[in-house]
Amino acid sequence: MVSNTEEIQLNRLENQVDNGGGGAWDYLCLVRKLKVRRSEKVLKHGLSILNDPKKRSSLGPDEWTLYEQVAIAAMDCQCLDVAKDCIKVLQKRFPESKRVGRLEALLLEAKGFWEEAEKVYSSLLEDNPLDQVIHKRRVAMAKAQGNISGAIEWLNKYLEIFMADHDAWRELAETYVSLQMYKQAAFCYEELILSQPTVPLYHLAYADVLYTLGGLENLQTAKKYYASTIDLTGGKNTRALLGICLCSSAIAQLSKGRNKEDKENPELQSLAATALEKEYKQRAPTKLGLLISTLKSLKV
Amino acid sequence: MAEDLVLDTAIRDWVLIPLSVVMVLIGVLRYFVSKLMRSSQTPDVKIVKEGQVIVRARNLRAGANFIPPKSFRSRRVYFSNEENGLLHVPKGQAQNAQAAMFSDPNMAMDMMKKNLSMIIPQTLTFAWVNFFFSGFVAAKIPFPLTQRFRSMLQNGIDLSSVDVSYVSSRSWYFLNLFGLRGLFSLILGEENAMDDTQRMMQMGGFGFDPTKSLSAEKDSLDIVQHEWALPKFEHRAEAVLRKLVS
Repeated sequence: MVSNTEEIQLNRLENQVDNGGGGAWDYLCLVRKLKVRRSEKVLKHGLSILNDPKKRSSLGPDEWTLYEQVAIAAMDCQCLDVAKDCIKVLQKRFPESKRVGRLEALLLEAKGFWEEAEKVYSSLLEDNPLDQVIHKRRVAMAKAQGNISGAIEWLNKYLEIFMADHDAWRELAETYVSLQMYKQAAFCYEELILSQPTVPLYHLAYADVLYTLGGLENLQTAKKYYASTIDLTGGKNTRALLGICLCSSAIAQLSKGRNKEDKENPELQSLAATALEKEYKQRAPTKLGLLISTLKSLKV
Repeated sequence: MAEDLVLDTAIRDWVLIPLSVVMVLIGVLRYFVSKLMRSSQTPDVKIVKEGQVIVRARNLRAGANFIPPKSFRSRRVYFSNEENGLLHVPKGQAQNAQAAMFSDPNMAMDMMKKNLSMIIPQTLTFAWVNFFFSGFVAAKIPFPLTQRFRSMLQNGIDLSSVDVSYVSSRSWYFLNLFGLRGLFSLILGEENAMDDTQRMMQMGGFGFDPTKSLSAEKDSLDIVQHEWALPKFEHRAEAVLRKLVS
């Protein structure tokens, strides 16, 4: 996660570099450290350093890191020739390196030679079966080929070993949602909530999944998670507010014929509706009528 | 009392300076030798997996109240059931772990390499210092010290009448051995400077048994009382919204 101050610093540096103020190397270092994806800028400024022999040699051993960074950025921008040149230089310098081997496979991937890339990856994995990057590349490759169920298979294999990697859990959750496998997605979101209980986005996504699953019990749980999202965001999340309204009306519909004993705090719904109206009044007054009619249709 | 022991300048030229130089050179040499001998460790899949299991189980324990009771129970069973739970360690295996560690030749080899690069040069230099320079005063520090420093500074001289501010050659060796760390971090870069005390601490960490932490985690997971926190959140959300609306 990129914190606020870091992003400000990054943008400031980017501005400075774009306007010819120098500090390109610092900018590239920061991009690398924060792992943000600004490939075009990296490519532009990185190449300007690499093409200048004086600047390049002043980097010392960091020169090779820069080659790697530029190569990856170039592949992201589909400048395959640039990437190829960078990788060639790196391979000349480190002939046996696995890190360079990874880059070569990445280049094959970028060209769309999936089978060759897969071959290189599996031979790299034989040397080091615990290379997380390669496992993740395999998932990405399956995804790029449109083989979503294959991606899920690879992800599950990866998570069997690295089961504390919450980014992978998140990826799996989103993939399951895209395939409408909501039960599995719910499990993944539970896992995410466990690893980071205070991130409201996970609560929200979990509630969404539960609401989509339907059924009285799930709806009630979904409502609780929407409530926790509201609590964690301080009521600023419109989606959660709407979720409360939707859940309440769905619950009311489902439990219409039954005894009303589990009808807990009806106040929450009306409060959420009022908060929504207030927010729409402030931000989008033209859409207010739409909202009011929607809310009216929800109140059964 | 010998207040004014005059030290021969030859002692400075032939003992004090050579001793320091040799200690520095040996440190540098040892660094390069250990770099040569260091084998790139490929961690075992099982060990990595166990570490990850522990992290995940700990997460479950810490965040248990944030997931519905049903989900929590199914996870707990998944982790700690007696048949194939991830945290469950079969009885026989637990005892064998230590033995397996020692029978693994790679592990023993690594340990030996670490030891060799540490102990051999140390014994050799100590023997060398002892042989050539034992039993005389090599330097004088420019300020007085109390009697307690005698054992530190005058190792090898059993005279109580010599002033404490004189340093014996063997003590000079020890001072160099433990005090050159800052210099090494200057010469060899920050992370490369490993002084001997740190090395010894590492040795102590060896023999750590991962299965023990697995079963410890299992026990603490078993006693977790699940109390779903979410119903409370509804009331809190209400309070938040009320504040927002009003």
